[in-house]
Amino acid sequence: MLKITNLSATVGEAAEAKGILNGLTLDVPAGEVHAIMGPNGAGKSTLSYVLTGRNGYDVTGGSATLNGEDILAMDPETRAAKGMFLSFQYPVEIPGVPVMTFVRTAINAQRKARGEDEMSAPDFIKRSREVGKTLNLNAEMLKRPVNVGFSGGEKKRLEIYQMMMLEPKFLILDETDSGLDIDALKTVADGVNAMRDPSRGMLVITHYQRLLDYIKPDKVHVLAKGRIIKTGGPDLALRLEKEGYDGVLGEAA
Amino acid sequence: MTTALRDFIRNPTAAELELVARYGMQPEDARRERAFLAFAETGLPHRRMEAWKWSDFRASLKSLDRPKQAAIPDPLPHDGALVFRFTPSGFAYPKTLPSGISMLAKREVQAFSSAEDLPLGALTAALAGSDSKPATLLFEISGRDLPRLHFVFEGAGEASFSRVVFLLRPNAELVVTESHLGGVGMASALSEFTLEAGAKLTRTIYQRSGPEDAIGIASTLTLDAGAAVTQTTLAFGAKVSRLETRVVHRQPGAHLTLNAAYLAGKGFHADITSHVRHGAPECVTRQLTKGAVLDGGTGVFQGKFLVPRITGQHTDADMQHQVLLLEDGAQVFAKPELEIYADDVQCAHGNTSGALDDAQLFYLRQRGIPERQARGMLTEAFIAEALETADETVRDVMLAEAQDWLAS
Repeated sequence: MLKITNLSATVGEAAEAKGILNGLTLDVPAGEVHAIMGPNGAGKSTLSYVLTGRNGYDVTGGSATLNGEDILAMDPETRAAKGMFLSFQYPVEIPGVPVMTFVRTAINAQRKARGEDEMSAPDFIKRSREVGKTLNLNAEMLKRPVNVGFSGGEKKRLEIYQMMMLEPKFLILDETDSGLDIDALKTVADGVNAMRDPSRGMLVITHYQRLLDYIKPDKVHVLAKGRIIKTGGPDLALRLEKEGYDGVLGEAA
Repeated sequence: MTTALRDFIRNPTAAELELVARYGMQPEDARRERAFLAFAETGLPHRRMEAWKWSDFRASLKSLDRPKQAAIPDPLPHDGALVFRFTPSGFAYPKTLPSGISMLAKREVQAFSSAEDLPLGALTAALAGSDSKPATLLFEISGRDLPRLHFVFEGAGEASFSRVVFLLRPNAELVVTESHLGGVGMASALSEFTLEAGAKLTRTIYQRSGPEDAIGIASTLTLDAGAAVTQTTLAFGAKVSRLETRVVHRQPGAHLTLNAAYLAGKGFHADITSHVRHGAPECVTRQLTKGAVLDGGTGVFQGKFLVPRITGQHTDADMQHQVLLLEDGAQVFAKPELEIYADDVQCAHGNTSGALDDAQLFYLRQRGIPERQARGMLTEAFIAEALETADETVRDVMLAEAQDWLAS
């Protein structure tokens, strides 16, 4: 599914470019959930932006393919149409654009890019209602401008709403647990778990182990200084929680 | 005669000579002469005049005549409206008008008191009128629940000058929509509104022209006690264009909403200028102007609130101008001015310019919305706020027009 090989990337303009990823290799097969943990500044968010094509993040070496296709050469919107979805750590406010308009535009833009028919308005509304219900997002909220005036928890639930509506092939959750209380965390995790599918892969980026109690990973990778330095099962996350990054990283180094 | 006329304007340009010739063909009329002399004082407004330094009509307007081009169709709905149409040589109007609206098409020029402040208005007052066009079109409005009045200013080939004067009697309510569609070397419209106590006006202006047109839309608004005006403009500019609105709050408790959105593409110039005088206490002004400008486009915003020491007490006024520079090479000139002499007032203003937000753009694209469409969505959302006050019969059409422009 997602195959990252020896990926290196820098952030910033040429003269002040800073290497953030330094030969990162990672393979997430379809049907699996992989967690990436790491200390602040390890390159976790950079990885999510490099994979989704944000401006200002330049790949300097290596490759990343989704189902064999080189995604690094694609526009962000093309990657999205191919099925890449990023749940943002800090979802962006879009004043003046209602949630429903935004998501329907996105669904139909993706469908158009894939040569599929548009989703009809009644189908969209029906689906939106179902998804909104499972995430405790009422119809009123979905008419408001995207993320404007939403609480931290509401913003994260709205990310999951978009994910469930767009039905992407590969999900990247960037610190989706940050800013969530325990009830919101459960709601969000339920939404993510509902998306688990033999044909879908997930990368769960997190700083804390807590989220992984609710979204059980198949594998846990430790990211430090721009590369994966340790890979293990779910127990690795528990060890990190207990011994801290210093303990585990010391051993790896 | 010709020599004398030539002397009206110092060192006249070809276009100015044509204007003088047009004046010479008009019947003699003392008020017409006063209006023309006021215009001739400066000639076509030009950059050496402080108020016109960013909108040089003299330099832009080589000649009044220009080759015909395909007319821009009027996007605003005519259904349910009484439609009045001004072309360079004609004027068409409904056969019957409901009670509450009386219309008088006068061959004489009505005195124009703001001639010194509005040179293009003075020119229009002096040159409006021909065999088939009134020099002054007068409306007296005394009712409510009246049909919308829709004015179309269009036509090809020649210069066009049109003048409409409205008097709204106490507690009258009127909805006016206007489409200024250009098509001529120079089109200039002058509208004067007087609102008596408690009268209410909703005015919505759509301006779109070809890239060779010079467009002037000059207006005066005078508000008596408790009168309310909501004016909303969507302007796409022209080779050179000026939408200038002068407002006087003449009695206490008047309320003005003055909103505009301008979208200037390559080779287009859109000037939104206003002057609001708080000549009576406890009046309210809300002004929001939003712009979006492409490479090679020019936007101009000049706004002034004048709040005199005695009469302006308890003024509540807010002026905001926000513009998106969508591409490198976009030009915007802004001059927001508050001139306040009264001490017990609330007056605020803000003026910002910037590019689209990268984080917002990436968020939309990550969801699969192509860059061009994403830029259009964000820009539309940005300017839409200024169009919310447009009359509901035309609001959606105006938004769709803005959307189309942004997508093209």
